[in-house]
Amino acid sequence: MYNSLTRIQNVFGFFTSVAFVVAAIIAASDLIAPRTPSGMIEPTSVQVVKGRPHYYSTKKEEYAIIKFSLEADLSSLFTWNTKQVFVYVTAEWPSLGADGAVTQNNSAVIWDNIITSPSADHLSNMPPVALRRLIESTAGRVIDPGRGKFQLFNHKPKYQITHPSGHIAESSDVKLRLHYNVQPWVGALTWDQQGVDLGLWKRLSDGVSEAFALPPVKRKDDAKTSSSKAKTKTKSKAT
Amino acid sequence: MAEQLLDQVRDVVDGQIDFEGQKLAEILATALLSIAGAISFLVGYSLQDIALALKIGLGGTALTFLLVVPPWPFFNRNPVQWLPVGGGPAVTSTQQNLVIDEKLLARQ
Repeated sequence: MYNSLTRIQNVFGFFTSVAFVVAAIIAASDLIAPRTPSGMIEPTSVQVVKGRPHYYSTKKEEYAIIKFSLEADLSSLFTWNTKQVFVYVTAEWPSLGADGAVTQNNSAVIWDNIITSPSADHLSNMPPVALRRLIESTAGRVIDPGRGKFQLFNHKPKYQITHPSGHIAESSDVKLRLHYNVQPWVGALTWDQQGVDLGLWKRLSDGVSEAFALPPVKRKDDAKTSSSKAKTKTKSKAT
Repeated sequence: MAEQLLDQVRDVVDGQIDFEGQKLAEILATALLSIAGAISFLVGYSLQDIALALKIGLGGTALTFLLVVPPWPFFNRNPVQWLPVGGGPAVTSTQQNLVIDEKLLARQ
Protein backbone atom coordinates (compact mmCIF):
# COMPACT_ATOMS: atom_id res chain seq x y z
CA MET A 1 0.00 0.00 0.00
CA TYR A 2 3.04 2.31 -0.20
CA ASN A 3 2.17 3.98 -3.50
CA SER A 4 -0.92 4.71 -5.55
CA LEU A 5 -0.53 1.77 -7.93
CA THR A 6 -0.37 -0.85 -5.17
CA ARG A 7 -3.33 0.77 -3.48
CA ILE A 8 -5.34 0.56 -6.72
CA GLN A 9 -4.40 -3.10 -7.07
CA ASN A 10 -5.28 -3.89 -3.45
CA VAL A 11 -8.63 -2.11 -3.48
CA PHE A 12 -9.62 -3.64 -6.81
CA GLY A 13 -8.52 -7.09 -5.69
CA PHE A 14 -10.64 -6.96 -2.56
CA PHE A 15 -13.53 -5.44 -4.53
CA THR A 16 -13.65 -8.54 -6.74
CA SER A 17 -13.83 -10.74 -3.64
CA VAL A 18 -16.65 -8.65 -2.15
CA ALA A 19 -18.52 -8.64 -5.47
CA PHE A 20 -18.25 -12.42 -5.68
CA VAL A 21 -19.49 -12.97 -2.13
CA VAL A 22 -22.41 -10.54 -2.55
CA ALA A 23 -23.34 -12.26 -5.83
CA ALA A 24 -23.24 -15.66 -4.12
CA ILE A 25 -25.51 -14.39 -1.32
CA ILE A 26 -27.93 -12.92 -3.87
CA ALA A 27 -28.01 -16.23 -5.72
CA ALA A 28 -28.62 -18.06 -2.45
CA SER A 29 -31.44 -15.68 -1.53
CA ASP A 30 -33.49 -17.32 -4.29
CA LEU A 31 -33.70 -20.45 -2.17
CA ILE A 32 -35.73 -18.70 0.53
CA ALA A 33 -38.18 -17.23 -1.97
CA PRO A 34 -41.11 -19.66 -2.20
CA ARG A 35 -42.14 -20.82 -5.65
CA THR A 36 -45.72 -22.02 -6.05
CA PRO A 37 -46.37 -22.10 -9.79
CA SER A 38 -49.49 -23.61 -11.26
CA GLY A 39 -50.91 -24.04 -14.72
CA MET A 40 -53.85 -25.60 -16.47
CA ILE A 41 -53.40 -26.64 -20.04
CA GLU A 42 -55.64 -28.40 -22.51
CA PRO A 43 -55.65 -28.90 -26.26
CA THR A 44 -58.54 -27.18 -27.99
CA SER A 45 -58.16 -28.35 -31.54
CA VAL A 46 -55.77 -30.74 -33.18
CA GLN A 47 -55.07 -31.40 -36.81
CA VAL A 48 -52.38 -33.16 -38.79
CA VAL A 49 -51.38 -31.99 -42.25
CA LYS A 50 -48.76 -33.00 -44.80
CA GLY A 51 -45.98 -30.58 -45.50
CA ARG A 52 -42.37 -30.12 -46.39
CA PRO A 53 -39.63 -29.24 -43.92
CA HIS A 54 -38.43 -26.53 -46.32
CA TYR A 55 -39.37 -25.26 -49.75
CA TYR A 56 -37.02 -27.38 -51.87
CA SER A 57 -37.47 -30.56 -49.89
CA THR A 58 -38.82 -33.55 -51.81
CA LYS A 59 -39.68 -35.30 -48.57
CA LYS A 60 -43.19 -34.91 -47.25
CA GLU A 61 -43.78 -35.08 -43.55
CA GLU A 62 -46.77 -35.00 -41.28
CA TYR A 63 -47.12 -31.98 -39.08
CA ALA A 64 -49.37 -31.73 -36.05
CA ILE A 65 -50.94 -28.37 -35.34
CA ILE A 66 -52.13 -28.37 -31.77
CA LYS A 67 -54.12 -25.39 -30.59
CA PHE A 68 -54.32 -25.10 -26.85
CA SER A 69 -55.71 -23.14 -23.94
CA LEU A 70 -53.44 -22.28 -21.04
CA GLU A 71 -54.09 -20.64 -17.73
CA ALA A 72 -50.84 -20.15 -15.85
CA ASP A 73 -49.89 -18.54 -12.57
CA LEU A 74 -46.13 -18.19 -12.48
CA SER A 75 -46.21 -14.99 -10.41
CA SER A 76 -44.20 -16.51 -7.57
CA LEU A 77 -41.23 -16.96 -9.92
CA PHE A 78 -40.73 -13.21 -10.14
CA THR A 79 -38.40 -12.12 -7.35
CA TRP A 80 -35.80 -9.37 -7.18
CA ASN A 81 -33.26 -11.69 -8.78
CA THR A 82 -35.43 -12.78 -11.70
CA LYS A 83 -34.31 -11.42 -15.05
CA GLN A 84 -36.76 -13.27 -17.21
CA VAL A 85 -38.81 -16.41 -17.29
CA PHE A 86 -38.93 -18.60 -20.36
CA VAL A 87 -42.25 -20.40 -20.60
CA TYR A 88 -42.77 -23.25 -23.01
CA VAL A 89 -45.30 -25.92 -23.80
CA THR A 90 -44.27 -29.34 -25.02
CA ALA A 91 -46.25 -32.15 -26.52
CA GLU A 92 -45.14 -35.55 -25.30
CA TRP A 93 -46.04 -38.87 -26.74
CA PRO A 94 -44.57 -42.38 -26.81
CA SER A 95 -43.42 -44.20 -29.91
CA LEU A 96 -44.57 -47.77 -29.95
CA GLY A 97 -42.63 -50.66 -31.40
CA ALA A 98 -44.12 -53.52 -33.42
CA ASP A 99 -45.06 -55.39 -30.24
CA GLY A 100 -46.80 -52.35 -28.83
CA ALA A 101 -44.11 -51.62 -26.26
CA VAL A 102 -42.86 -48.08 -25.79
CA THR A 103 -39.58 -47.65 -27.64
CA GLN A 104 -39.14 -43.88 -27.34
CA ASN A 105 -40.60 -40.99 -25.49
CA ASN A 106 -40.95 -38.00 -27.77
CA SER A 107 -41.15 -34.44 -26.65
CA ALA A 108 -41.48 -31.38 -28.87
CA VAL A 109 -41.99 -27.71 -28.09
CA ILE A 110 -45.16 -26.29 -29.62
CA TRP A 111 -45.11 -22.82 -28.05
CA ASP A 112 -42.77 -20.65 -26.04
CA ASN A 113 -42.53 -17.14 -24.73
CA ILE A 114 -40.14 -14.92 -22.79
CA ILE A 115 -41.61 -12.98 -19.88
CA THR A 116 -39.17 -10.27 -18.83
CA SER A 117 -39.00 -8.80 -15.38
CA PRO A 118 -39.35 -4.98 -15.37
CA SER A 119 -35.64 -4.80 -14.50
CA ALA A 120 -34.87 -6.50 -17.84
CA ASP A 121 -37.37 -4.69 -20.06
CA HIS A 122 -34.61 -2.75 -21.78
CA LEU A 123 -33.14 -6.04 -23.01
CA SER A 124 -36.31 -7.40 -24.54
CA ASN A 125 -36.61 -7.70 -28.28
CA MET A 126 -39.96 -6.05 -28.86
CA PRO A 127 -41.40 -3.42 -31.15
CA PRO A 128 -40.97 0.01 -29.51
CA VAL A 129 -44.68 0.65 -29.09
CA ALA A 130 -45.34 -2.70 -27.42
CA LEU A 131 -42.29 -2.19 -25.22
CA ARG A 132 -43.47 1.25 -24.12
CA ARG A 133 -46.90 -0.16 -23.31
CA LEU A 134 -45.29 -2.95 -21.31
CA ILE A 135 -43.13 -0.54 -19.33
CA GLU A 136 -46.09 1.74 -18.65
CA SER A 137 -48.18 -1.20 -17.48
CA THR A 138 -45.81 -1.87 -14.57
CA ALA A 139 -46.05 1.76 -13.39
CA GLY A 140 -42.47 2.01 -12.22
CA ARG A 141 -42.47 -1.10 -10.05
CA VAL A 142 -39.20 -3.04 -10.11
CA ILE A 143 -40.93 -6.42 -9.79
CA ASP A 144 -44.22 -7.19 -11.44
CA PRO A 145 -45.44 -10.67 -10.49
CA GLY A 146 -48.65 -9.96 -12.41
CA ARG A 147 -46.74 -10.68 -15.59
CA GLY A 148 -46.55 -14.31 -14.52
CA LYS A 149 -50.34 -14.63 -14.58
CA PHE A 150 -51.72 -15.09 -18.04
CA GLN A 151 -54.39 -16.86 -20.01
CA LEU A 152 -54.30 -18.09 -23.55
CA PHE A 153 -57.52 -19.23 -25.13
CA ASN A 154 -57.51 -21.52 -28.15
CA HIS A 155 -54.02 -20.29 -28.93
CA LYS A 156 -52.22 -21.14 -32.16
CA PRO A 157 -49.01 -23.11 -31.65
CA LYS A 158 -45.79 -21.34 -32.57
CA TYR A 159 -44.29 -24.53 -33.97
CA GLN A 160 -45.86 -27.36 -35.94
CA ILE A 161 -44.30 -30.56 -34.79
CA THR A 162 -43.34 -33.76 -36.50
CA HIS A 163 -41.33 -36.85 -35.69
CA PRO A 164 -37.92 -37.88 -37.12
CA SER A 165 -39.73 -40.66 -38.98
CA GLY A 166 -42.03 -38.10 -40.62
CA HIS A 167 -45.10 -39.82 -39.19
CA ILE A 168 -47.08 -38.28 -36.40
CA ALA A 169 -50.72 -38.78 -37.39
CA GLU A 170 -52.82 -41.01 -35.17
CA SER A 171 -50.26 -41.01 -32.39
CA SER A 172 -52.04 -41.79 -29.17
CA ASP A 173 -51.41 -40.86 -25.58
CA VAL A 174 -50.23 -37.33 -26.44
CA LYS A 175 -50.03 -34.94 -23.54
CA LEU A 176 -49.31 -31.23 -23.41
CA ARG A 177 -47.05 -30.10 -20.61
CA LEU A 178 -46.20 -26.64 -19.35
CA HIS A 179 -42.56 -25.90 -18.54
CA TYR A 180 -40.68 -22.88 -17.34
CA ASN A 181 -37.08 -21.81 -17.04
CA VAL A 182 -36.20 -19.07 -14.58
CA GLN A 183 -33.23 -16.97 -15.66
CA PRO A 184 -31.88 -14.98 -12.73
CA TRP A 185 -29.65 -11.92 -12.77
CA VAL A 186 -27.17 -13.78 -10.59
CA GLY A 187 -27.09 -17.53 -10.11
CA ALA A 188 -27.97 -20.70 -11.91
CA LEU A 189 -30.76 -21.28 -14.38
CA THR A 190 -33.57 -23.32 -12.89
CA TRP A 191 -36.24 -25.30 -14.67
CA ASP A 192 -39.58 -26.65 -13.52
CA GLN A 193 -38.89 -29.44 -11.09
CA GLN A 194 -40.50 -32.36 -12.94
CA GLY A 195 -42.79 -33.30 -10.07
CA VAL A 196 -40.31 -32.83 -7.25
CA ASP A 197 -40.60 -30.37 -4.36
CA LEU A 198 -37.27 -28.76 -3.43
CA GLY A 199 -37.62 -27.01 -0.08
CA LEU A 200 -39.72 -23.91 -0.63
CA TRP A 201 -39.81 -24.51 -4.38
CA LYS A 202 -42.99 -26.44 -4.95
CA ARG A 203 -43.51 -28.47 -8.09
CA LEU A 204 -45.64 -27.07 -10.88
CA SER A 205 -49.17 -27.78 -9.81
CA ASP A 206 -51.09 -29.53 -12.59
CA GLY A 207 -49.45 -28.26 -15.79
CA VAL A 208 -50.25 -31.41 -17.80
CA SER A 209 -53.19 -32.00 -20.09
CA GLU A 210 -55.14 -35.19 -20.27
CA ALA A 211 -53.93 -37.65 -22.86
CA PHE A 212 -55.38 -37.26 -26.33
CA ALA A 213 -54.85 -38.83 -29.73
CA LEU A 214 -53.80 -37.08 -32.91
CA PRO A 215 -56.29 -37.34 -35.79
CA PRO A 216 -55.50 -38.88 -39.18
CA VAL A 217 -53.90 -36.69 -41.83
CA LYS A 218 -56.28 -34.05 -43.06
CA ARG A 219 -57.21 -34.60 -46.71
CA LYS A 220 -57.42 -31.78 -49.20
CA ASP A 221 -61.01 -32.66 -50.12
CA ASP A 222 -62.33 -32.46 -46.57
CA ALA A 223 -60.50 -29.25 -45.85
CA LYS A 224 -63.74 -27.43 -45.18
CA THR A 225 -64.81 -29.67 -42.33
CA SER A 226 -63.86 -28.40 -38.93
CA SER A 227 -60.63 -29.69 -37.52
CA SER A 228 -61.16 -32.69 -35.36
CA LYS A 229 -61.64 -31.77 -31.78
CA ALA A 230 -59.39 -32.93 -29.02
CA LYS A 231 -62.44 -34.51 -27.47
CA THR A 232 -61.29 -37.81 -28.96
CA LYS A 233 -58.85 -38.03 -26.14
CA THR A 234 -58.54 -41.30 -24.34
CA LYS A 235 -59.60 -40.87 -20.77
CA SER A 236 -56.42 -42.09 -19.15
CA LYS A 237 -55.82 -39.85 -16.19
CA ALA A 238 -52.71 -37.72 -16.46
CA THR A 239 -50.70 -37.65 -13.31
CA MET B 1 12.08 25.11 -12.57
CA ALA B 2 10.67 22.57 -15.00
CA GLU B 3 12.51 19.82 -13.16
CA GLN B 4 11.01 20.83 -9.84
CA LEU B 5 7.56 20.80 -11.40
CA LEU B 6 8.18 17.35 -12.87
CA ASP B 7 9.32 16.09 -9.48
CA GLN B 8 6.14 17.36 -7.90
CA VAL B 9 4.03 15.67 -10.57
CA ARG B 10 5.97 12.44 -10.06
CA ASP B 11 5.38 12.60 -6.32
CA VAL B 12 1.65 13.09 -6.76
CA VAL B 13 1.34 10.26 -9.30
CA ASP B 14 3.54 7.95 -7.27
CA GLY B 15 1.63 8.89 -4.14
CA GLN B 16 3.85 7.38 -1.49
CA ILE B 17 2.54 7.34 2.06
CA ASP B 18 4.19 6.51 5.38
CA PHE B 19 3.94 3.23 7.28
CA GLU B 20 1.14 4.33 9.58
CA GLY B 21 -0.71 5.60 6.52
CA GLN B 22 -0.31 2.21 4.81
CA LYS B 23 -1.84 0.48 7.81
CA LEU B 24 -4.72 2.95 7.80
CA ALA B 25 -5.23 2.56 4.04
CA GLU B 26 -5.38 -1.22 4.40
CA ILE B 27 -7.97 -1.05 7.19
CA LEU B 28 -10.01 1.59 5.33
CA ALA B 29 -10.10 -0.39 2.09
CA THR B 30 -11.13 -3.63 3.80
CA ALA B 31 -13.75 -2.03 6.02
CA LEU B 32 -15.32 0.26 3.42
CA LEU B 33 -15.60 -2.41 0.74
CA SER B 34 -17.09 -4.94 3.18
CA ILE B 35 -19.59 -2.39 4.49
CA ALA B 36 -20.55 -1.31 0.97
CA GLY B 37 -21.13 -4.97 0.02
CA ALA B 38 -23.24 -5.63 3.11
CA ILE B 39 -25.33 -2.47 2.63
CA SER B 40 -25.86 -3.18 -1.05
CA PHE B 41 -27.25 -6.63 -0.31
CA LEU B 42 -29.39 -5.59 2.64
CA VAL B 43 -30.89 -2.56 0.89
CA GLY B 44 -31.36 -4.48 -2.35
CA TYR B 45 -33.04 -7.37 -0.58
CA SER B 46 -35.29 -5.27 1.62
CA LEU B 47 -36.41 -3.06 -1.28
CA GLN B 48 -36.32 -6.04 -3.71
CA ASP B 49 -34.39 -4.01 -6.25
CA ILE B 50 -31.30 -5.62 -7.73
CA ALA B 51 -30.31 -2.58 -9.79
CA LEU B 52 -30.19 -0.56 -6.59
CA ALA B 53 -27.94 -3.19 -5.01
CA LEU B 54 -25.60 -2.95 -7.98
CA LYS B 55 -25.52 0.84 -7.80
CA ILE B 56 -24.79 0.88 -4.07
CA GLY B 57 -22.04 -1.70 -4.48
CA LEU B 58 -20.35 0.15 -7.30
CA GLY B 59 -20.85 3.53 -5.64
CA GLY B 60 -19.29 2.28 -2.41
CA THR B 61 -16.36 0.89 -4.36
CA ALA B 62 -15.83 4.19 -6.18
CA LEU B 63 -15.90 6.00 -2.84
CA THR B 64 -13.33 3.57 -1.45
CA PHE B 65 -11.04 4.18 -4.43
CA LEU B 66 -11.38 7.91 -3.93
CA LEU B 67 -10.59 7.68 -0.24
CA VAL B 68 -7.76 5.15 -0.36
CA VAL B 69 -5.84 5.67 -3.59
CA PRO B 70 -4.75 9.36 -3.56
CA PRO B 71 -1.98 10.22 -1.05
CA TRP B 72 -4.20 12.27 1.25
CA PRO B 73 -2.44 14.26 4.00
CA PHE B 74 -3.85 11.98 6.71
CA PHE B 75 -1.78 9.12 5.26
CA ASN B 76 1.41 11.12 5.81
CA ARG B 77 1.06 12.22 9.42
CA ASN B 78 3.90 10.03 10.70
CA PRO B 79 6.83 10.49 8.31
CA VAL B 80 9.86 8.26 8.89
CA GLN B 81 12.73 10.04 10.69
CA TRP B 82 15.77 9.03 8.67
CA LEU B 83 19.33 9.11 10.01
CA PRO B 84 21.40 11.99 8.69
CA VAL B 85 23.26 11.41 5.45
CA GLY B 86 27.00 10.70 5.67
CA GLY B 87 27.20 10.32 9.46
CA GLY B 88 26.91 14.03 10.14
CA PRO B 89 25.45 15.38 13.34
CA ALA B 90 22.06 13.91 14.06
CA VAL B 91 19.07 16.04 13.36
CA THR B 92 17.67 15.10 16.67
CA SER B 93 19.99 16.16 19.43
CA THR B 94 19.26 13.04 21.48
CA GLN B 95 21.75 10.21 21.74
CA GLN B 96 21.38 7.53 19.06
CA ASN B 97 21.86 3.91 20.01
CA LEU B 98 22.55 1.50 17.17
CA VAL B 99 22.57 -2.23 17.81
CA ILE B 100 24.77 -4.10 15.35
CA ASP B 101 25.62 -7.76 15.93
CA GLU B 102 24.30 -7.45 19.50
CA LYS B 103 26.93 -4.85 20.30
CA LEU B 104 25.75 -1.53 21.37
CA LEU B 105 27.36 1.28 19.44
CA ALA B 106 26.87 4.49 21.26
CA ARG B 107 27.40 7.66 19.36
CA GLN B 108 27.65 10.98 20.99
